Amino acid sequence: MPEITSPRLSDRVEVDPVTARLQDTRAGLAALLQEADAARREREESTSGDGSAVCAWNHFENIPTFYNWNNRPR
Amino acid sequence: MAELRPDHADESRWNGMRGISTVPTYVVMQPTTLCNLDCSYCYLPFRGADRKMPVPVAGAVAAAVNAWARTGRFSVVWHGGEPLAAGRDHLARLLGPFDPGVEHHVQTNATLIDDAWCEFFAEHDMRVSVSVDGPEARNGDRINRGGKPAFDRIVRGIDTLRRHGIPFSALCVVGRPEPGLATELYAYFLELGCDVLGVNVEELEGVNKRANRHPAEAVTAFWAELVSAWRRDPRIHLREIEWSLRYVAAVLDGTADDVLPRRLDPIPTVAQDGSVVLLSPELAGFHDPRYGDFTSGNVLTTPLGEILAAATETPWIREFLTGIEACRATCPYFGFCGGAHAANRYFEHGRFDVTTTDHCRNSKIRLLEGVLDHARDHQSTAV
Repeated sequence: MPEITSPRLSDRVEVDPVTARLQDTRAGLAALLQEADAARREREESTSGDGSAVCAWNHFENIPTFYNWNNRPR
Repeated sequence: MAELRPDHADESRWNGMRGISTVPTYVVMQPTTLCNLDCSYCYLPFRGADRKMPVPVAGAVAAAVNAWARTGRFSVVWHGGEPLAAGRDHLARLLGPFDPGVEHHVQTNATLIDDAWCEFFAEHDMRVSVSVDGPEARNGDRINRGGKPAFDRIVRGIDTLRRHGIPFSALCVVGRPEPGLATELYAYFLELGCDVLGVNVEELEGVNKRANRHPAEAVTAFWAELVSAWRRDPRIHLREIEWSLRYVAAVLDGTADDVLPRRLDPIPTVAQDGSVVLLSPELAGFHDPRYGDFTSGNVLTTPLGEILAAATETPWIREFLTGIEACRATCPYFGFCGGAHAANRYFEHGRFDVTTTDHCRNSKIRLLEGVLDHARDHQSTAV
């Protein structure tokens, strides 16, 4: 699917187009998220009992060479 | 699963990245400008000159960092030039002023790593990340000052790390996304044994003037293929996939607005002479008639905390914040991205209040699209 090139939201749409596309892909994403969660457990990355993506993210959040969303050393 | 709210006012939808934090999560330090390699795509000026950071610069930075580290995890990233080119004795002197609770990281080309460096890493509990672009044939841009391939020396250095049992991360630059590349790269890094991998599509910035515009389909397909390769054997924490899945999970949970940090991390880069550039390390060492030298002060004359508190007094940073708001207002990927990076805006467009860059397209938009394409094409759990 081509990337979304008309970023302005229309008053007629209920969610932004990226969110809409993501929701349309929910089934495939759910399977992918499940596998990613299992992979994090294998890597012992989870920092709390629930093993959510966010927990894994937070665990790595302060690995500076690899995380900074607004920028990073490259 | 919470239903996403209808949203007509995109300006208020995303509440992250508003203003700049006065306390960073890490500081980038340049122990020397020198690099022993001369990679074709490198953005660093002065990498042929050996200007070492004086110890008082490290002392001034440590005065701020030690206080920050007492209230939470805090890191110093020794970046370059090639940080190991500063030499072990000098690097040890630069580490001296920092409290034991401060984490130290090093981003290295690995060519200088030997047994003595491995002992140094262990002694200082230094976390190591190496730069390598995949198998030998993919490392044509990584050359020494004589124009000869550096690959053999890179591999020798990484082998030494492995022999010492030192875990490491890897950064890989992709110059031209093409079919088959993602699979080849991921297999290589599995074999290499890194714990974490970051993949950077080459950027037009600094002294690297090579164009980074690629066909959208090629870049999206590259990321989709990387997801497939990773999914078959997800032993590596793959930065781009984790970034994407964190956002995906949050959207599906109805918590997408919680993903971005509330404020921008200032990421102070302290150059060897003590000058401080905020937000984009790649701007250090450059000068522009309109923006000056991009610095916001020097730690030898002003405490780092004061420099950060006054960040918006730097004219280009005010313009950059205008650019962030423009991204927020106009880009449907903002909740994922947080706004185009400062260096990419400047080096691609010559100013900071613009929005989409080719870096946004290659490394944010097409990344997310590639993950979504993969998911669309793999609706069952079988890969």
